[in-house]
Amino acid sequence: MLRGFYTAASGMMANQRRQETLSNNMSNAYTPGYKADQGTMRAFPEMLLKEIGSKQIPTANGLNLPINKTVGSLNTGVYMQETVPDFSQGDVRETGIGTDLALINGPLPDENGAVFFNVQNENGELRYTRNGNFTVDGEGFLTTNQGYYVLDANGNPVQTGGMDFNVAEDGTLTVAGRAIPLGLSYTANANQLIKNGSGLFEPGEDADALVNARTTTNVKVQQGALEGSNVDPAKTMTEMMNTYRSFEMNQRVLKAYDQSLEKAVTEIARVR
Amino acid sequence: MNRSMIQASVTMGQLQNKLDLIGNNLANTNTTGYKSRQANFASLLVQQMDNLDDEKAETGRLTPDGIRVGTGAKLAHTNLDLSHGSLKQTGRELDVALMRDNDLFQLEVDGQTQYTRAGNFYLNPAENGQMELTNADGFRVLGADGEPIVFDGDMDGITIREDGAVLVTRGRQQTVEGRLGIVQAIRPRMLEADGANRFRLPEGTPAAGILEAVNQNDTQIKSRTLEDSNVDISQQMTDLLMAQRAYQFNARSISTSDQMMGLVNQLRT
Repeated sequence: MLRGFYTAASGMMANQRRQETLSNNMSNAYTPGYKADQGTMRAFPEMLLKEIGSKQIPTANGLNLPINKTVGSLNTGVYMQETVPDFSQGDVRETGIGTDLALINGPLPDENGAVFFNVQNENGELRYTRNGNFTVDGEGFLTTNQGYYVLDANGNPVQTGGMDFNVAEDGTLTVAGRAIPLGLSYTANANQLIKNGSGLFEPGEDADALVNARTTTNVKVQQGALEGSNVDPAKTMTEMMNTYRSFEMNQRVLKAYDQSLEKAVTEIARVR
Repeated sequence: MNRSMIQASVTMGQLQNKLDLIGNNLANTNTTGYKSRQANFASLLVQQMDNLDDEKAETGRLTPDGIRVGTGAKLAHTNLDLSHGSLKQTGRELDVALMRDNDLFQLEVDGQTQYTRAGNFYLNPAENGQMELTNADGFRVLGADGEPIVFDGDMDGITIREDGAVLVTRGRQQTVEGRLGIVQAIRPRMLEADGANRFRLPEGTPAAGILEAVNQNDTQIKSRTLEDSNVDISQQMTDLLMAQRAYQFNARSISTSDQMMGLVNQLRT
């Protein structure tokens, strides 16, 4: 029984999965507010190998002693365990368009902390995003570039009435004499968030509730600028090469096994 | 087909649209009254995969169960940049430029009202010896009363005043014979480009709340001047380079995935 046959195949499959993650990062290298996914690999849970047999002791009437000893543990494969988004700040670039807002973190109290805009998805659920590429819809509400309502600090859509509004550094939107504080949320552990499509994040099932970012952090909102993606194309390309070669090595191993099997099938018990 | 190839090819299609948009902006660097457009991306759907049944064996996880794989990126929306273009003196009496952002001239196009920033107007002969004010394509310019601006043909001179009034000189007399109808776009992003410098309202959308007529006192027009396009060539070129590189990166993703498939294909030689 060739144990490594399936191990090599699992290595190929895991690297395929990693390539999917990398190419999605590369696709989003210019998506505002995109956070790169980091794929992590993990060995299959290990199993314990035991040798079971018997030993003959050469006495007059022959004695068999059963043997049962541990050989050691073995991992029989690898899989991609998780995709961990990297929540570091992307580069901020000036666009000069008043509806573009960028979040600038500043020092955060927690290592894995992150600040988000509050938006509402199509089912009316609260979601979080870093993509500040907003626009004003036909009814005068501030929306994301997918048409989701951007929410204020009380969880209501933001009515701008028209076009020209100002956003101060503390995230207060001023339009026609009304000051509306935009909803900004902070999480101490951003890894508990689940990526949805369109740059939205939702809190996982057992995630801690997000808190108001104004009281916990000194985040700044910059109007007329966008936070770019934090994907580094050079790093992604390097990882892609690495993934490709790892895939190739697993393929070589699989081929070697196949050749051994070929020998077993064709050459053993050949009548010459 | 391989998921990573789909992601990259979808994104390449969308990048092509961005390249088209940049190409159109660059093509219109000298178009009177042209407003540039910008496009930004948004990520597409994310698939949740439950890649392991035994969740207890998953030790040391950072994130919620399963893995999430994205499906590429798409062009989210195109943003009309309504900032003012540079002004250029022409010395021609019927060239006018709007001095405030979001103001628009009105044109009558096939019975519909359309809007434009381009103020290069002309006189065209109409019926029974009259003249009417039209734009370069011959569409009639609408006055403040919503009607085309028409004059008797025997004039000696014509000028347009700062408040949009059209002054006609006959002999030694100068009289106001019409006023340009200017509207202000409250929500300019609702306007659709119709080509030939014109904007229109989307089908079935009333103008109320999107456009507002501008009073004579608030009208600010500069005559003998045209507003140039507001395309910033250096910014467009930078965007072009970035989009081109992004296109190449995605193409590289495809070729890497293709080589991986090639390796699978060589398993049995």
